[in-house]
Amino acid sequence: MTTLKYVLRDMGRLVVNHWVLGLLTLITAAVMLWILGMTTLFSLNVENLLSHLESELTIQAYVKKGSDVEQVSRKIQALEPVYALKAYSPAESLAKLQEKMGSQSRALDLMGDNPIPWNFEIHVREVGQVEPLVRTLAAMPEIEDVVYAGMVVQRISALSAVSSRVALIMFVLAVVITALVVYNTIHISLYSRREEIGIMYLVGATRTYIATPFVLEGTLLAFLGALIAVGGIALTYFPGIALLQGNLPFLTTSLIGDTRVIVRFCVLLAGFGATLGWVCSYLVVARFMHSVTRPE
Amino acid sequence: MKIIFSGVTKVFDPDIVALRDINLRIDKGEFVYVVGATGSGKSTFLRLITRELLPTRGTVSAGSFDLRGMRRADIPYYRRDVGLVAQDFKLIPTLTVYENIAFVMEAMAVPQRVVSYRTNEVIEQVGLWRRRFMKPAQLSGGEQQRVAIARALANSPSLFIADEPTGNLDYRTASDVMKILFSINAAGVTVVMSTHNQSIVNASRQRVIELAGGRLVRDEASGGYFAQSRGDGQEALAPDRQPSPAARAVSSAPRRERVNHDDHA
Repeated sequence: MTTLKYVLRDMGRLVVNHWVLGLLTLITAAVMLWILGMTTLFSLNVENLLSHLESELTIQAYVKKGSDVEQVSRKIQALEPVYALKAYSPAESLAKLQEKMGSQSRALDLMGDNPIPWNFEIHVREVGQVEPLVRTLAAMPEIEDVVYAGMVVQRISALSAVSSRVALIMFVLAVVITALVVYNTIHISLYSRREEIGIMYLVGATRTYIATPFVLEGTLLAFLGALIAVGGIALTYFPGIALLQGNLPFLTTSLIGDTRVIVRFCVLLAGFGATLGWVCSYLVVARFMHSVTRPE
Repeated sequence: MKIIFSGVTKVFDPDIVALRDINLRIDKGEFVYVVGATGSGKSTFLRLITRELLPTRGTVSAGSFDLRGMRRADIPYYRRDVGLVAQDFKLIPTLTVYENIAFVMEAMAVPQRVVSYRTNEVIEQVGLWRRRFMKPAQLSGGEQQRVAIARALANSPSLFIADEPTGNLDYRTASDVMKILFSINAAGVTVVMSTHNQSIVNASRQRVIELAGGRLVRDEASGGYFAQSRGDGQEALAPDRQPSPAARAVSSAPRRERVNHDDHA
């Protein structure tokens, strides 16, 4: 307890004595963690939007006349990528088509008998499974035709891959830059006090006693930076979401706007900031102390 | 604390031999001068005792510690039993006199109340009460040296290493510093002091170890720097065997308790 008191006091001295450097670190850590947070939220929203679109993607499989619809239904349902299946009778299909066509549905009367066969509306688990499933369905003897939004599937699939990669790159960049800034600050702080550290070690202070205030300083600065970043996210994210939903109403259900989710995310970000600060400070202090205290 | 050098050679890169095959023993409670020209190996000799350096060959032991084979984590505990006074004082410039002295006890997790009492005690003993809240830069050389001595005394060490403690001081201040060192020795503490100052060495008639080119060329029980007679006005530098307040501060200091710190960093 006594040691903790001394260590905390020494950390306070460090922060006060190097306040300019500390302030710069705080600002940089806050900006980088804000970018990190916004990038993560952006990619989460893109993922959400894409999975929403994926859930809307359906495959329409038309059954050959004379086939046993029950049997075909069981056969399709047994396929692994199939998430949900709904069968439509010819009459139901025609009604749906008429509803979609609205005033132009009179054109359908010219066709005489209902030409639409029994068909299935199939939902898949993942967008990447659409193409293989279509090939499997087309190969089935009971299936006459398969209709799906092929181009849309390919584009969504490609967009999903690109957005994941971009988000990952942004995430790694933000983490690396934040880590480097904290690492450098603590290193400069240590370097400017290297003589002092040597004296402390010479008069009997343990390496842990000397190092702990520096590690705590790095952790505190990164944690405070993360708290500022959380404040920045609260001030920018919610207005941004509101703006998007106002201008693009179809996005309403796809964007993450639940306050509880965002609060949880912010708690994670603050914890991540503190952990990052601790890891960087620990690494630089351990390395520095090892070189300073090594006998010649 | 007893010190033993056995066949100690220290070579610095690239092939600079600072000490060659040193064999000697310093007994508990001795006062030893280490003399020699610049570059003779005096500082290397002392830095081997403080474990800032490791011998290239041979072994150095101090008390129950084998300094060569010592674990890194044990070094601070050994150093707490060694008072160190250097020519450049080695004070922390950002801390006050009080904080510089208190620090060595705080590092051992000594409670604040005890730290405060003991720090004030040693500050008073070295006559710096009025300067206790000043930073080292605000003090004269002699005062800074007295702070360094007070800091070394704070832990009541059993070995006192002084590397040219009077090197930057005028005659009168050097005389004050020497009086403090003699009184520390009078309290039973082993003192090893390097110096260039022949007046100091000649005045006190203590054991003298002389180094030249890294070799031990002389080890006399009460040699003096040169074979000079006394009566040259050096009485002020001679030891007074009556323990001074500083010596009493050493002997009356609360004994340390070993405090276990994890030493992972």
